[in-house]
Amino acid sequence: MMRRWRDVLYPVVVIGVILAAWQAGSELGWLRRVQFPPPSQLVQTLYQLVQEGYPEGIRLWAHLGITVERILLGYFAAIAIAIPLGLAIGWFRTLDHLTEPVIAFCRSVATLSLLPLAIVWFGTGEASKIFLIGYGCFWVMLSNVIAAVKLVDPVLIRAARTMDTDRLRLFTRVALPAALPRMFAGARVALGVGFMVIVGAEMIGTIHGLGALIMEARTFYRTDITMVGMFVIGALGFAIAVGLRRLEMRLLPWQDREAGRSQ
Amino acid sequence: MTRLHRHGLGALGALAFLALWEISARFVWRDAQVLPSPTQAIAAAAHYLTAGELAAHIGISLSRIVGGFTLGAAAGIALGVASGWYAWLGRIVRPIVDLLRPIPPLAWIPIAIVWFGLGEPSKWFVIFLGAFFPIFTNAYRGMASIPPVLLRAARTMDVDGARLLFKVAIPAAMPDVATGLRVGFGLSFGTLVAAELIAADRGMGYLVMQSRQLGELGVAVFGVLLIGVVSLASDAALGAGLRRLMGRRSGH
Repeated sequence: MMRRWRDVLYPVVVIGVILAAWQAGSELGWLRRVQFPPPSQLVQTLYQLVQEGYPEGIRLWAHLGITVERILLGYFAAIAIAIPLGLAIGWFRTLDHLTEPVIAFCRSVATLSLLPLAIVWFGTGEASKIFLIGYGCFWVMLSNVIAAVKLVDPVLIRAARTMDTDRLRLFTRVALPAALPRMFAGARVALGVGFMVIVGAEMIGTIHGLGALIMEARTFYRTDITMVGMFVIGALGFAIAVGLRRLEMRLLPWQDREAGRSQ
Repeated sequence: MTRLHRHGLGALGALAFLALWEISARFVWRDAQVLPSPTQAIAAAAHYLTAGELAAHIGISLSRIVGGFTLGAAAGIALGVASGWYAWLGRIVRPIVDLLRPIPPLAWIPIAIVWFGLGEPSKWFVIFLGAFFPIFTNAYRGMASIPPVLLRAARTMDVDGARLLFKVAIPAAMPDVATGLRVGFGLSFGTLVAAELIAADRGMGYLVMQSRQLGELGVAVFGVLLIGVVSLASDAALGAGLRRLMGRRSGH
């Protein structure tokens, strides 16, 4: 009990001291307001963003909503394709060897570098942003699904074989459940990637979304808006990460803790 | 399944992929401004770029990644190790890191420009952030999960203070540090390209974006392929370097 109490107290004190110093530094004129808008102003700006919105009256919730929508659309499309494909590649060894270099290459292409191509293929609207998120999530998810199937403990497979399990049941009853924890960990990493990509994708050619909000604010030297936007993005990312971890523990109670730590 | 067999299949797969792309671009889409084939992309790049310009783009990107990543790695390892070793420091540093870590590095770009201007330091800063957080987290985790038996054993042999830290604790945490370096490098590379797309006038990311002004999609495709190759090669170099540095302990 003592420990938990400390776990809350120390961070609160540390963050509190920093915020107080920041505020004081700003009041005393040591920190320039353009570069370091004081916390008191950030609170005001947050209120303003919720009530009036920026730019062109787009409220904070609308930015948040569209960003989440883009992430989820791209993410689920990527997952839906990556899972069956990854299971097949992981299960058939020849297929794995054939595709390995291509997948390694596609995965290491920086997703946002595809932006000009996405604009030509899908226009400047929603589709190109969803494509970019999908691309980023897809290769991460695919390689994690493949690894999940390949890394299933061979003892499990051999044990099932000695019991005369046929190949289909071997896959659906043994390999698949054993691979699920790693697949879920992969899904978590992939969502993180989507989250990284969206901010960059929204910085070009749109005024909707959190990425656009923080970029637009710069044009008018509204550093306060940029900072509030960053913290909203951070809070969203944090909430998603915690939510997924909870979901994972609930859905897959049999997983070993180590699998989730691999990345 | 021999190694040769395996790599042969891989090469076959890559060739098939390129051939399929080449054929569908040339005979199905037949529009190099929508889907340039690999050879068309190389031809376009050769037309618009001299070898010197190309080398300059690659060079500036690499210098940014080396600068930002080195700073991020140094700060991440030093702070992560120190926070894991000195409990009081960990109590101060960890809340700050936990608060800032969920913010994607790219979201820092506007702030980086306000703080450091449009020049190189703002790019270094964003790349630094991409590298710092995973490296810090892994270094800290490595220090925190050293088996206490190891430290107690060393203490019974009168190893203490700085020697205990540098000869026992840090080597024990090295595998985690190596993992952090790999993850951090991947992240800072992606961040670099994005930063160059959004706010730069040189570099590989800029090269890709420049294709829009040139009205030549082949240059963009070439840039994308180039980024992939450079990223794979530099990651492989980092991996080989880490393996040499740490021998079998690294776990890679």
